[in-house]
Amino acid sequence: MQTQEPAIVIESLAKSYGKVQAVRGISMSVERGEIFGFLGPNGAGKTTTIRCMLDVIRPTTGAIRVLGLDAQRDGRAMHQHIGYLPGDVRLPGRMTGKQIINYFANLQGREPVLLNKLVERFDVEMKRPLKGYSKGMRQKIGIVLAFMCDPDVLILDEPTSGLDPLLQKIFNEFLLEEQARGKTIFMSSHIMSDVEKICQRVAVIRKGELVTVEAVEALREKAGQQITVEFGNAVSEQELARIPGVSMLTKTNGSYHFNISGSMDPLIKALSQHEVIRLNSQEAPLEEVFLKFYEEPARATQLAQ
Amino acid sequence: MATTTITKSIPVAKKRARGLTVTGRALMNSSTPMSIACFYGLLILLILAPIYPVMAQANFQSLMNSGVMSAILGGHLTKSFNFSALLAVEVFSSIYGLLFGGFVAWIGGAVLPVTIEDGTLDLALSRPINRTRYYLESWFAVLIGAVIISLVLALGVWIDTFIVNNAGIDWPWMWLTLLVQWAFLFFAAGLGMLCGSFINASRAAGGTAVGIVVLGYLLNTFGGLSNQLQWMVKINPFYYAPAIDPLINHHLTWWYPLVLVAAGLVCGIIGLVVFNKRDLPTV
Repeated sequence: MQTQEPAIVIESLAKSYGKVQAVRGISMSVERGEIFGFLGPNGAGKTTTIRCMLDVIRPTTGAIRVLGLDAQRDGRAMHQHIGYLPGDVRLPGRMTGKQIINYFANLQGREPVLLNKLVERFDVEMKRPLKGYSKGMRQKIGIVLAFMCDPDVLILDEPTSGLDPLLQKIFNEFLLEEQARGKTIFMSSHIMSDVEKICQRVAVIRKGELVTVEAVEALREKAGQQITVEFGNAVSEQELARIPGVSMLTKTNGSYHFNISGSMDPLIKALSQHEVIRLNSQEAPLEEVFLKFYEEPARATQLAQ
Repeated sequence: MATTTITKSIPVAKKRARGLTVTGRALMNSSTPMSIACFYGLLILLILAPIYPVMAQANFQSLMNSGVMSAILGGHLTKSFNFSALLAVEVFSSIYGLLFGGFVAWIGGAVLPVTIEDGTLDLALSRPINRTRYYLESWFAVLIGAVIISLVLALGVWIDTFIVNNAGIDWPWMWLTLLVQWAFLFFAAGLGMLCGSFINASRAAGGTAVGIVVLGYLLNTFGGLSNQLQWMVKINPFYYAPAIDPLINHHLTWWYPLVLVAAGLVCGIIGLVVFNKRDLPTV
């Protein structure tokens, strides 16, 4: 670790495959000790960005630094501090879990100090040849390989893919513990609820372009409240749609459903003009916000503002 | 609470000797084609011993003096027929390059792509090991494979001496023959590494390298049929590994094997540059 700049710095990263631009000049940074979510639909450029960070593929333009070390110039030094979990963990079928762990510990040049804890915590099968492993079992081996030598920065591509809900929960708890130990975690994911629970900030990438980099808390505020209201008298949709902050207004079985962001005061005042039979308010799930970023560039811009 | 427990009980990761980890793994990955090559080598040598008495009665001298046969086998037989001559014709002629050179070219071609296919290349290169070292260790594994094949053949010849009466193997020249042929294997290994440096599928890369070896054999065979086609002979690798010469005629053009070693080095180094510069694919 040479400087105190952010753990990961990506500057104007672009990657083209012939005429196809997989990543189009993205810039962002990940602070030390942060869990950073990297979201986007399939083919958005998440894995390309991660593979550029690892120097497995070379950017067309731009630079990446991890812990102040340039991904291309100082690759070897940088990799001493990195743990990587690929999106699709594939392993040679003839080797056993123990052999593959030993092989990668040798390549790392460090003792796998977290091995026993990880094996115990994730109930990892070590003795059978890997060809008999299910996707979930391979994923668990991938997690062990990423974390076992206690790296400072973890780069995780779809880390909970293939894990059952209980293991997903255990893994998320484990990530929070690792963060508490000062580790920086950069993870791509499709599971929005996981991202919402454990990440401090998220970046959303769409068609190779960065749509937003936001604190999860700020997104939560923007998502606002999800309201369900049933009236005793006739209320028009237009009247509700006019209330400041109301969005996604629908009507089913005589009840109105909508999201409201910002102050609730205009809504309360509007509802007080009518007979309200039932009123339910809960935090709007961030999933809808994320999906909007995925789908509609115009809407995403609106949300980002 | 859990956090505190973990922090207290985790020691700092001590350094671990890396050794030739990639070489060991590459040798394991190549064990099947290497075993097959050794098996065929031993099988051919062990079949030759019992059939030698019958073969000795055939008119091999005139056969070997025919232009067609010497082109196919890659050398002229100038001395009387003996067990060394049978070995030269059946094992250490161009057949050696075609068969064992083919196996080594296949192993060299597949050694890198197979790690793309089994998903370990990405994971390995995300560790503190650079591409140059990964490539060189893999190449080293292929060369070790070539040495193993050569030694197994030497073992087969040695076993034959117990079966054939008065086998009369001149061992210094036999080792020199093996060395000349190992130069061919060195070339095949470099060629394979070059193919594997830019082809992602192991079978395609191995197949391409073997195809080039076979093409060399065809150039050698057809080029030997006419003086006007001598250029075909001169540009193929088999021309520079005339193992029949040292084994039977006890003669060696010393710089011929060096041509093969130089060609192998050039191929391997170009492969290294390509491997270092390219984007590595996912499966």
